[in-house]
Amino acid sequence: MIVGRVVATELKPATPHQFHFWTANETSIGIGAIVKVEGSGVGDQVSGRVVYGVVTDAFAYSDLATPLHDVVGAEGDPERAAAAPTVRQEIRLWTAAVLRQIPEEPLQPVPLAQVHVATDADVAQALRMDGYLAGAHPTGIPVGLYTSGGLEAPVYLDADFLLGPEAAHLNISGVSGLATKTSAVEVLLASIFQHFPTHKGRVAAVCFNVKGPDLCFLDQAGTLDDADRRRYERLGLAPQPFERVRYFAPFKADGVNLNTLRTHGDLVGDVEPLVWGLRDVLDYAEVLLNRDDIDAKADAFIDFLSDRVVGKEFDDGFGGSHAVTTFADLDRLFRAIFDGLELAGRSDMWRTHHIATMRKVRNRLGNISTRCKGLVTDDGPSNDLPWGRFEDRTVYVVDVANVDPLGQDLVFARVVSKLREHLERRDLGVEAVVVFVDELNKYAPADGPDTYVKKMLLDISERGRYLGLVLFGAEQFRSQVHRRVVGNAGTIVFGRMDADELATPGYQVLSPATKIKLATLPIGELMVRHPHFTQPIFVRFPRPAVLRGRDGVERFPPAADLPFEDAVVRQLVRLEPRTRPNQVKDLIADRVPEDVRRALARTRQVRPADPFAYFRKLLGTRVAPTEAAMREAVPPLNPIADEPY
Amino acid sequence: MSASWVDAVIAAGAVPAAYVPEASAGRADLEEFTGADPVEDPELRVHPLGEVPPLAPGAALFLDGIERWRVVGYGGVTPIIRAHVAAAVRRRGQDRRPRTVREAARELAVTRLDALAPPVHDALLAAGVAVVEFAADDAGQPARALQAARREVERARLALEQALAEQCAAALGADEWLVVDGVLSDSAVLSEHPRTLGVIKSHGAQFFEGLELERALTLPAGHRTSVFRPRRRGARRDIHSWYVRLWPWEGNDLLYGLLRVEARADPATVAQASRLSAWLERERAPVSTPDPRWDRLLYPIHDVETYLRARAPRDLIPYSASRLPRIAS
Repeated sequence: MIVGRVVATELKPATPHQFHFWTANETSIGIGAIVKVEGSGVGDQVSGRVVYGVVTDAFAYSDLATPLHDVVGAEGDPERAAAAPTVRQEIRLWTAAVLRQIPEEPLQPVPLAQVHVATDADVAQALRMDGYLAGAHPTGIPVGLYTSGGLEAPVYLDADFLLGPEAAHLNISGVSGLATKTSAVEVLLASIFQHFPTHKGRVAAVCFNVKGPDLCFLDQAGTLDDADRRRYERLGLAPQPFERVRYFAPFKADGVNLNTLRTHGDLVGDVEPLVWGLRDVLDYAEVLLNRDDIDAKADAFIDFLSDRVVGKEFDDGFGGSHAVTTFADLDRLFRAIFDGLELAGRSDMWRTHHIATMRKVRNRLGNISTRCKGLVTDDGPSNDLPWGRFEDRTVYVVDVANVDPLGQDLVFARVVSKLREHLERRDLGVEAVVVFVDELNKYAPADGPDTYVKKMLLDISERGRYLGLVLFGAEQFRSQVHRRVVGNAGTIVFGRMDADELATPGYQVLSPATKIKLATLPIGELMVRHPHFTQPIFVRFPRPAVLRGRDGVERFPPAADLPFEDAVVRQLVRLEPRTRPNQVKDLIADRVPEDVRRALARTRQVRPADPFAYFRKLLGTRVAPTEAAMREAVPPLNPIADEPY
Repeated sequence: MSASWVDAVIAAGAVPAAYVPEASAGRADLEEFTGADPVEDPELRVHPLGEVPPLAPGAALFLDGIERWRVVGYGGVTPIIRAHVAAAVRRRGQDRRPRTVREAARELAVTRLDALAPPVHDALLAAGVAVVEFAADDAGQPARALQAARREVERARLALEQALAEQCAAALGADEWLVVDGVLSDSAVLSEHPRTLGVIKSHGAQFFEGLELERALTLPAGHRTSVFRPRRRGARRDIHSWYVRLWPWEGNDLLYGLLRVEARADPATVAQASRLSAWLERERAPVSTPDPRWDRLLYPIHDVETYLRARAPRDLIPYSASRLPRIAS
């Protein structure tokens, strides 16, 4: 359908990258619309050239020479102006940026020809999607619908450029609440799971739930209306929740109640505890240390502990032998060393490490189990993501929404590092993993010191695509995220943006009209930049087919924290439904809670055929703590004999 | 056709030229005293329009024409002129937006055939373009030839306008009025039609003398004169006419905002003169700036002219570089 015609003047010429066209006053064209310039073949300067463009700006004006003339005509009365017998001639003039020219060489100015509304096929051509939607190994991943003038044309991303190896990573930004960042990622993940090309192998996703119940109900069906279902159909997506979702959450400080909003009785059984021990944490101690603490000496001592001490039989040099596997073991070692140094009175150095450095490291490591109580176990077995056994098309949700920020950093750093290690060794179980991180500005801020997490995110951004480790990051303000992290994202998605954010230099390439559209973008609409698209494209996506977090907590209200005994019962019942609660309560009635926690953790880890029997056996044998070493009286190093008091 | 016939005569030996003389200022009104007979009042009087409800037809059609011409070659000293004349009618309905309902255009070659060399003469005739000749007496001196050519082009435009207006008048609906830019009295059909108005912006013709002339030319804004009957002159038909002042003339000149209106010579015209005038007064907005005649050029007429100009051949528009020496020619 012809909607307009290209015009060019000396002041506003048509160029190879931009052109102007006019339309009737009443038109379906708007900012973001895709148009095709193609001559009728009669009298047009076309020569078979077809140009696709996207509307980036719009102008309207009349033949009024100056505003004063309108005042004169109306004799100063606006009502009279509206009642003028003739409506002035007006123009709707549009500016479009070229998306594609066919043929592409020689690159020439856009011909002054007719402008047509784009069809489905035109949209595919304009966005160069024809290159990856056809052929023996199509790699299209539906991302949304291009909607303009009643058209609903699917827009696809290229999996090779979204998930590697050509390019990778996705960054999505927009104001909270209206930008639908989480919803967009949920739809895109569903799309990836349903359309990830088989020749590219298996794919999984690890999502960090960092706020509220956002990602806690991905396996539950949400409410969709007819328009959503139609959009799903146009996108070729099944409107259904994720089939395989595994939830991980640390415990609360009590060590038995899970620290998540997914604690409703019907759902909590799916949530696996996330518990890490010393060995799991020590490699990431840098994350946990104060930034001021990080120095070469502390670093060297931590490396020493990691390489020479933890998990090995270790002689402290004062006659003691230590098998350090837990924080408690480590603390005993520290005490032995300090006591030994004091008793020996020989120096402040122990194996080239200064006692002050050791005290600092001891203090910081000791704090970990306090600050991250529930996530880090002082003593006892850990429970982790299924490294090496990741399953195809499975979402692994790690809920750290209520975890101390330090703990969030630790979880994030360790999970991503482990993913990287396994992907490098090709033994994760899948070939590609999408890691979704919200509030990216917190983990990789544009300014501030270089933290372990930031460095790790930079590393993923720059090298992840070769490994299949793909970062989907979301944040409110893109300008507040490290340039290299967003710069390495092959695909960039924008939801509704704040005007102040749009005024920052990163958005200078956008036209004022596009900025206005971004600032007023309705829920469910996004602007997408992708390596194949030479200009940003606006797309609309359906509501996710999963239960939204807010709806989820209404339908499945979180259960109140259970008393210690009940929480233990619940966990054993989960392992074996025939477990009798009273039996469990009787068993643990006179036990030290720490013993119970350790036994429970071990039972959960081993998953024996008869959990209760195993649990009872562990308790009976007093699995846990070694008695704290008796502290011998230590004489002062410099007794002041004359001190009268 | 456009430039193809020009190429043909140039190829036949005419010397190419690119000269756009000062274009016609439009239709020339009479520039002599003709006199008028009173119709409405015994002598010319002034009628206020303040409280008069304007006529509000269901639709109004506006007609105007344009002419563009240019010397494209010389056969000896005789200019060969390429001319374009066009006219259009645009209808303004209830949505207040004018839309073209009729239009016509002609391309002409204006010259003196017997003054051209035989090859050029033959080439011109063979090109198929309509050739209009000016008088043999005007063929010698180029300045006179150009004046004669201008008259021929104007005549062609008037003929086109008249033909289009008559077609349009014949098809006018019961609630439609046709407003023509210029006089009605050249056409029997138009001058007798009950819903046709002629709006004349130039005031070369003098119908009154003395106090009546002063009354006509110092008419206050928002007023009209009595209806009068211009005396017949030549082929002109019986018509009713009156003056309307759209804008105050004080501080400008006597003719500022002054229109002369022509309508059918009929008692009904006299009865409607005030309502018709009030309608025209309403047409002051929107103003038709930046046209220098905006004080008396009705916007819908200006709109027709804009439409025709936009559709005229672009190579007939004078351009600043055209007088520079043609290095390559």
